[in-house]
Amino acid sequence: METVLAHLDYVAVAVVFCTGLYILLARQNLLKKLIGLNIMETAVFAFIVTTGMVDDGDPPLLAGDLGPAFASPLPHALVLTGIVVAVSMTSLALALIVRIHCEHGTIELDELLDRDGS
Amino acid sequence: MRRLAAALAVGLVALALLAGLLSLPEPGAPDSPAQRHVSAAYVEGGAEAGGAANLVTAVLLNYRGLDTFGEVLVIFSALLAVLVVLAGAPESEPDQAATRLAPSPVVAFIVRLTAPFMAAFAAFVMISGAELPGGGFQGGVVLGAMAILLAVAMGRERVTDALQGGARFWVRAAAPLTFVLVATIGFATTGWWFGLPGPGPWRDALVLALDIGIGIGGAAVLAGIFLALSRR
Repeated sequence: METVLAHLDYVAVAVVFCTGLYILLARQNLLKKLIGLNIMETAVFAFIVTTGMVDDGDPPLLAGDLGPAFASPLPHALVLTGIVVAVSMTSLALALIVRIHCEHGTIELDELLDRDGS
Repeated sequence: MRRLAAALAVGLVALALLAGLLSLPEPGAPDSPAQRHVSAAYVEGGAEAGGAANLVTAVLLNYRGLDTFGEVLVIFSALLAVLVVLAGAPESEPDQAATRLAPSPVVAFIVRLTAPFMAAFAAFVMISGAELPGGGFQGGVVLGAMAILLAVAMGRERVTDALQGGARFWVRAAAPLTFVLVATIGFATTGWWFGLPGPGPWRDALVLALDIGIGIGGAAVLAGIFLALSRR
């Protein structure tokens, strides 16, 4: 129990990640699947930023007063890159969903698969 | 049935995740792996070696400039891919477009009133990215959001007509182009690609140029993606 409380930030990340994964698996609507994927990405970004945190640490801005500890700048930069890639992926997925709707008139995965089989 | 299977799978993943996460060093510990190795070296080198007082900007534009170049290429390719995917799709029916809800005059007025301030804030975030929280990507997102708001409130034609044909392409490619330019200048002055010259006004100018190029290019790409998607 003590370990869980000490890692409460990470437990929260796991909860958000699993919420996204459940939406991704259980929903048939492609748009909702995409939203689930985005929630999972958010959890991963939160996890990486949390690893860079230091208790009582300052943001890594050297222009201000120099504190004793700095948050690690590297995870922040990596997550910024990750967010941009996630936006690119989301936009491409949205375009594909729009195109699927144009061609087939539905974005429900089970209906699309049924039509494919018949 | 599907939901039960999904819940079971998620439960298994959750157990594995928790087992892994709970064995990590506690968040906030000053001696965790994320604080040592290269991160410690980046903080040690500080603004002198990194090229920007904001160390995140220093990591992004100097230490890991090649990564960031790949990043701007990814978002530019995403715009190209969105345009290609939607190119063959039929236009939405005119009567369907007409039934779209027009925003109220109040909303349109407020958006027009606040747009210049949004643009000014975006410019501030881009320019001050070397010292304060912010940078090219953040400023670009603010600027892109302004363009999207204008497109929603005043009609997309007003935004698409602002840039015609060739100019629109070059603005959308601004971020990769700025990076190639700065990388070439770095090659000429320091001998390696993406190298920045030593501390001084030249380096500050190059970092500022990168931030502004990324900001304008990113905003144009975001607005372009929205406009392409909203045409259907």
